[in-house]
Amino acid sequence: MKMIYKVSVERCIACGKCELACAFAHGSEGRPAKTRINIHRRGPEVGTPIVCFQCEEAGCVAVCPTQALVRNPETGAIDMVRSRCISCRMCVAGCPFGNMLWDDTYHCVQKCDLCGGDPRCVPFCPTGAIAWVPVEEAATPPEPLDREALAVEEGA
Amino acid sequence: MPTLQVNGRRVTVDAEATILDAARAAGVKVPTLCQFDGLEPWGGCRLCVVDMSEAHWDDDYFKVVTSCNHPVAEGMTVVTDSERVVETRRVVLDLLLARCPDTPLIQRVAREHGIEATSYERNPEPTDCILCGLCTRVCDHIGVSAIASVNRGWGREIAPPFNQPPPDCIGCLACAEICPTDFIPYETSNIRRTIWGREFEMLRDPKTGEAAITKEQAEHFANRSGVPITYFEKSDTSKRREMAKTFAKLQVVK
Repeated sequence: MKMIYKVSVERCIACGKCELACAFAHGSEGRPAKTRINIHRRGPEVGTPIVCFQCEEAGCVAVCPTQALVRNPETGAIDMVRSRCISCRMCVAGCPFGNMLWDDTYHCVQKCDLCGGDPRCVPFCPTGAIAWVPVEEAATPPEPLDREALAVEEGA
Repeated sequence: MPTLQVNGRRVTVDAEATILDAARAAGVKVPTLCQFDGLEPWGGCRLCVVDMSEAHWDDDYFKVVTSCNHPVAEGMTVVTDSERVVETRRVVLDLLLARCPDTPLIQRVAREHGIEATSYERNPEPTDCILCGLCTRVCDHIGVSAIASVNRGWGREIAPPFNQPPPDCIGCLACAEICPTDFIPYETSNIRRTIWGREFEMLRDPKTGEAAITKEQAEHFANRSGVPITYFEKSDTSKRREMAKTFAKLQVVK
């Protein structure tokens, strides 16, 4: 079954668990500031998770001089072949959505690879704002999130 | 799909594969210095030499070849640890250790081959450049060719033309990043970048002031890949912020 990474912006509460899960899964020293998924925080408990779209005609693939970015037919992700990367940072500049990330600690580019078909961030999302679903189900609009019900009372 | 034997292990690889690819597929480690997966093989460091015999040759006739750029053939026999291959590697490393006695990479590889100190005369002016050619090859590969190896023999070194700031350089840092011994010095910030004695102005994001690439780099890659140059003008943080705003507007359920 073909799976797809689905983001429902409506349901994100900006808790940052996906960022932490990603930071631990990919060895960026557990620092949530250096992860492949980033939550843009728009207000208190309102966020937009931003992660690679795995574009059909990707800007990063077009600019890469060593063909280090290749489509993985199994997961549908654009994978980064580390051994071919020359760290020229063209993909960082060329991605129209800002989803290629330069890691200054390791001097390499970080890119979402959908964890090889089992995204580690998905099971940690408490509201289902990010999901790994079959392609057929991806187009259904998300359920509205009852933010009142999620609220924890002071002192509880 | 040719099938060959590497150290007695049978392995089947693509027709375009090299002996080095086959050895790796068979789980045999072959030392390399100038090999890089994203670049054409060069055969410069002579460390990846192996003994090889083709199917139609005499059984006991073997030839020493560089495995990184030698294509595979059906029925080939490869031996990566024969006596003369190991001796060849040791000579190469001994010479490299004489040239670069203080380079940790060379010290480590030499120690792996049982060499603690060079048996030749130590280079009076130790350098970290092992002349692997990765920097010039990566520069050629991206279509710039700003640096090259100059002079011959003892005096051989990597330099821009006439040792002047190279006019063709785009400041991409690929040479410095690929250098296995971090020999090429550079400085970079959000404002300017200096490499090979030339100063570059960075392509800065108008809002955040961050920069990943130089202006020359953006022009070169826009021409080369057909991606519009406007793609490069904003930094990744500012692009993500814009995307988040767009998504907020597109919400189906409020």
